[in-house]
Amino acid sequence: MSRVRLGRWLIAAPMTILAAATIYPLLFTANVAMKTRREYILDRFSLASTLHWENLTTAWNSAGMARYILNSLIVVTCSVVLLLLIGSMAGFALGRVRFRGSSALFLVCLAALFIPFQVIMVPLARIMADGGLIDTYPGLILAYVAQFLPFTVFLMTSYYRAVPAEIIDAARIDGNTLYGVYRRIMLPIGTPALLSVGILNALFCWNDVLISLLMMPSADHRTLMVGVTSLRGQYSDDIPTFAAGVLIAAVPVLVTYLFLQRQIADGVTAGATKG
Amino acid sequence: MRPGTGRRAERLAPYVLVAPAVLIIVVLRLWPLLLGVNFSFTGDGALNGTAVGLDNYRDLLDDPLFRTALRNVGLLVLLLPVAVAIPGLLATFIYLRVPGHRLFRSVYFFPAVLSPVIVGAIFNLLLAYDGPLNAVLGGAGIGPVDWLGNPNVAIFAVVGVHVWATFGMALVVFLAGFATLDAALVDAARVDGASLRQTIWHVIVPGLSRTIQFVFVTTMIGLLTSMFGLLYIMTSGGPEGSTYLPEYYIWIQQGQMNRPALASAASTALFVIMLVVGLLQIGLLRRAGRED
Repeated sequence: MSRVRLGRWLIAAPMTILAAATIYPLLFTANVAMKTRREYILDRFSLASTLHWENLTTAWNSAGMARYILNSLIVVTCSVVLLLLIGSMAGFALGRVRFRGSSALFLVCLAALFIPFQVIMVPLARIMADGGLIDTYPGLILAYVAQFLPFTVFLMTSYYRAVPAEIIDAARIDGNTLYGVYRRIMLPIGTPALLSVGILNALFCWNDVLISLLMMPSADHRTLMVGVTSLRGQYSDDIPTFAAGVLIAAVPVLVTYLFLQRQIADGVTAGATKG
Repeated sequence: MRPGTGRRAERLAPYVLVAPAVLIIVVLRLWPLLLGVNFSFTGDGALNGTAVGLDNYRDLLDDPLFRTALRNVGLLVLLLPVAVAIPGLLATFIYLRVPGHRLFRSVYFFPAVLSPVIVGAIFNLLLAYDGPLNAVLGGAGIGPVDWLGNPNVAIFAVVGVHVWATFGMALVVFLAGFATLDAALVDAARVDGASLRQTIWHVIVPGLSRTIQFVFVTTMIGLLTSMFGLLYIMTSGGPEGSTYLPEYYIWIQQGQMNRPALASAASTALFVIMLVVGLLQIGLLRRAGRED
């Protein structure tokens, strides 16, 4: 027994070091964000002697982060709501209603799952430009919906497939139309899946750079992550303010992670186990 | 409402429910794929819209930057087993309840939720020539390494950061796979005195073959299509173009060089690479699974 114990601790030691290496970069950044430029140049590692919160306000004000965050919030909220609505409608129909052509339509959605954005970005940009949608909120929202819809439809379909048919039959006998069944039964029943998929989609959209760079190029319309990339040039000789900007950008996701860790992990694994 | 129209509306209802999703997917995902392939056989600039045959593909192969991008893809394929083995092994230890397994699970997963841009920005600081990592190595007597400035090192630095940032995803997927594994088998192997290595090799790997297959494919897709943010903020493809990947090449040709047709050819090439690599992997892993 004691030998087994020892073996376990021998494994735990390097795993602890790895865990520290996972956390350290963020702590380092947080510490740098609290220093003055002079302190940082003299010693990168020392703890900030006094907490210079003003770095945060400098980054917030001079880099226009409030604007970036607002842009991100608008785009992410609209995208996620649309994704959940369109995805759950399709998921319900494809997973729980028998109609001609349903499996072919499901295959169409599934096939799109294997087309990465990079492969279609040039023609997509052209389509969006033809529609006058480049550099507009609806354009970016539509691009996000198109990007994450296949995954959303796929997960909602497999979720609704597991709902017993009797529930739907009973609702039909009570005189509900198919739309009524969707609104009164399937949406409430789908809440756990909608929550997981919604959080995951929110993360994907919030964290994206490439689609946002392509669809919303002008400075006014930058989303937060694109804004962070522009911080780099702006504060290349003022590392603490740069770190403060990065920290501000990281905080919303960190808070989300602390509270919704389980739902995020569930969303990630649902794709794997249902596949 | 008359009963007749009601019934007809009911028959149409499922199509109405599916329509928005299918419409968006067809118009904004499948149609662009065809459009892009078609586009890759036309010219750029003055030749816009005219058929040029395989000229774009010839240009691609002549372009040293694209050749570097292809070479880097080869490197990623070679590094793939490592990128899968690390989370696999860590998940195994967590599954076997190493002390602190709960904490490890949430700590390891956490970088996976950060945007590549944030991760890249943080590592820009850590990997700077006069930055902390070199200071630590210097303390151990190892000379400073120009992590992001040396063409022979930079791609490994970026891939390393990508693996650091994403191994948590694969870890969580592995753990979900473990949940479906028959715990009695593992216990029996341990009771019979099997070593850790034997247990992993003869019980866990065969039992998780589907999960492993899934992680291989998704990790490969991640390596080929979600490093843009890191490249954009950490190296911009440099130094000397050494960190180009196809996705970055496509972006540069489309956005900076104004050569959308050439970019489309690169997109088509990337799609073919992904198909080939994906099918090869599935084939290889299937065969490996059967031999066990």
